[in-house]
Amino acid sequence: MNKLRLIIAREYMSIVGRKSFIIMTLLLPLLFVVIGAVPVVLAWLNDKGSDTQQIAVIDETGRYAAALHSDDMYSFVAMQGDTMTDARQFYDKANGSIDAVIIIPSNVDSTGVVNIYSEGTITPALASMVKRTLADTIQNAHLASMGIPNLQQMVSEAHIDVDVRSLKWDENGGEQESSTDAAMGLGFLLSFITYMFVLMYGAMIMNSVIEEKTNRIVEVVVSSCRPFQLMLGKIIGVGLVGLTQMAIWIILLAVVGIVAGGALGLTQLGTNAVSPEAMAQASDMGVVQSIMQQVLSINYLPIIVNFVLYFIGGYLLYSSLFAGLGSAVDQPSDSSQFTTPVILIMLIAFYAGIACMENPTGPMAVWCSMIPFTSPVVMMIRLPFGVPGWQLALSLVLLFGTALLIIWLAARIYRRGILHYGQKASFKELFKWMK
Amino acid sequence: MAYLDINNVVKHYEEHTALDGVSMQVEQGTIYGLLGPNGAGKSTLIRIINRILAADEGTVLLNGKQMTDADISHIGYLPEERGLYKKMKVGDHIVYLGRLKGMTKADAVASMHWWLDRFDLKEWENKKVENLSKGMQQKVQFIGTVIHRPPLLIFDEPFSGFDPVNAEQLKVEILALRDQGSTILFSTHNMASVEEVCQQITLLNHAKVVLTGSVDEIKQQHKKNIIAVQTPDSIESNSDLFTILPPDPVKKQDTLIKLAPGVKVRDAINWLNEHYRLTGFTEVLPSMNEIFIETVKSKNAENNE
Repeated sequence: MNKLRLIIAREYMSIVGRKSFIIMTLLLPLLFVVIGAVPVVLAWLNDKGSDTQQIAVIDETGRYAAALHSDDMYSFVAMQGDTMTDARQFYDKANGSIDAVIIIPSNVDSTGVVNIYSEGTITPALASMVKRTLADTIQNAHLASMGIPNLQQMVSEAHIDVDVRSLKWDENGGEQESSTDAAMGLGFLLSFITYMFVLMYGAMIMNSVIEEKTNRIVEVVVSSCRPFQLMLGKIIGVGLVGLTQMAIWIILLAVVGIVAGGALGLTQLGTNAVSPEAMAQASDMGVVQSIMQQVLSINYLPIIVNFVLYFIGGYLLYSSLFAGLGSAVDQPSDSSQFTTPVILIMLIAFYAGIACMENPTGPMAVWCSMIPFTSPVVMMIRLPFGVPGWQLALSLVLLFGTALLIIWLAARIYRRGILHYGQKASFKELFKWMK
Repeated sequence: MAYLDINNVVKHYEEHTALDGVSMQVEQGTIYGLLGPNGAGKSTLIRIINRILAADEGTVLLNGKQMTDADISHIGYLPEERGLYKKMKVGDHIVYLGRLKGMTKADAVASMHWWLDRFDLKEWENKKVENLSKGMQQKVQFIGTVIHRPPLLIFDEPFSGFDPVNAEQLKVEILALRDQGSTILFSTHNMASVEEVCQQITLLNHAKVVLTGSVDEIKQQHKKNIIAVQTPDSIESNSDLFTILPPDPVKKQDTLIKLAPGVKVRDAINWLNEHYRLTGFTEVLPSMNEIFIETVKSKNAENNE
């Protein structure tokens, strides 16, 4: 036990103490942030770079132009004249200082059509802004023209948005709001984390095994401990490295989240004036809020517990496979013959998981979440949708049972493999060593 | 009673037999040579003693008791295929190896300092192994083998990779360890070092013991009754007593005579002394190298018949 602890500590320190580990741990989230931030920054640069657009408005009705308020983005100038030719002349005379001309035709009340002219492109943002503003104003004007008292209020009261909530009955007859989008997102995230982590750290274990062989240190070490202890120590040590890395990332995420959340909250308060822009933003906020509500409505405790269990099971299964296979080669360059099949199985698991997102209770999802080589990834997709207890139990038993079997087989390969130099071992030899 | 007692050990691999009934007794406080050509089974036997491999049959007794896993803390093993973690610091590395053998941290650190001092490596304690020269790495390797002061030391080709100066220092250290009571099992191809340090040897060939005993006895057994005679005269053959052999290419001035069967050294020398001006003579004993080659060749010839 004491020796195992020593081996784990050495393995852990040998990776965590490396400069490359620290750099990678800090750079990887930064990379994600950069990739995520690029579109936002580009959009911001776009907004920032453009001047206020000058928009001329020809209002043939004479009633609606006032509804278009100027702001930072657009400056609306009402102009006289009532024909297309006037507009064209006006545009040409302005010689580029006018970006677009809006014509509100006199029959807009019946047709509901408004035209925007420009020689350049008309941005969707301008079109939708004009559409939104005029639709409201014209509708209100219609209602007012009908001369029925309180009609406007009656209409807004009669207006009903139908919102579909998906509810889930639990065993006690209670109900619980569930959300398909959030569940899918969460499932994908968890399965992707499992897939990435197992591959990354599996490769790390294999390199560590091969390194000890090429260093020729391995025989010195196994004259002091059992090969099984060395292999297990490596698997646990590298696993702890992974958990450390995850913990650092979670802390970083929390810090960034709190800082960003704080900053966002403050700007939100500052611009909460009644400008239409702020109103639009508020409706965006409503969407964000409802997503947040969906995300919060998920019952996390069983998901986290099961995620950790599957994660450990999957990690043990694949990392011992990698350790066993790594012991059979002398150089990292020789390892692909053995790793390709393993990586292929992982890939199949990952794509099976994606396919199962469409129908998380279908036969394919159920089968793939039972097979130990795919279950750590596929079950993550199913978890947020709720999985029957017996299926979870059976799948976990299968996973851990298989993991123990693989560890045992890998240990048998390992104790032969680490002392095998020279000729590259074949799969046939590996099977012999298992006996 | 032998300190290390190996009885009738058998080890089969899938295709071949690596050890076929090997027995060997190593007395406490001696240096024992385990010899044999490549593939004879030396490394397998050493790995069995180190409990890296398990024997199919036979027993290994240490100090009269069946060996268990706990006994590996009593062994220091320097394998032929050896190396170090390149990225670890020298001091940490030695302490790690010591603690794996069951030392406490404080003991391992103290012992590490003592040995680094002895090998003039003190200022390298906090340097990474990869920054050391090959010779220095070999010394660190040696320290890692002996740091826990094991009563049984096993060296597999200890001198390979050492330059003559360092090899000499290593030899002095090994002899010092023996004088302090350690028992040393020594596996090598280097016959000169066997003659210098080993008291007893076992020669393995094709998984079997073909020769065993003390170095002196074996030499006596294999002597060919050859005498190197120093004389200014030229000696003629005397078919009753001896025949003249072609001279040794290195010591050309000596005349080599081979005694006829049954002739005593004293009789031949007396006769020579009467007939020639004799200035000196020495009995020529075969080198371990010659015995090794001769034995292995004759056994291989036997096997081929």
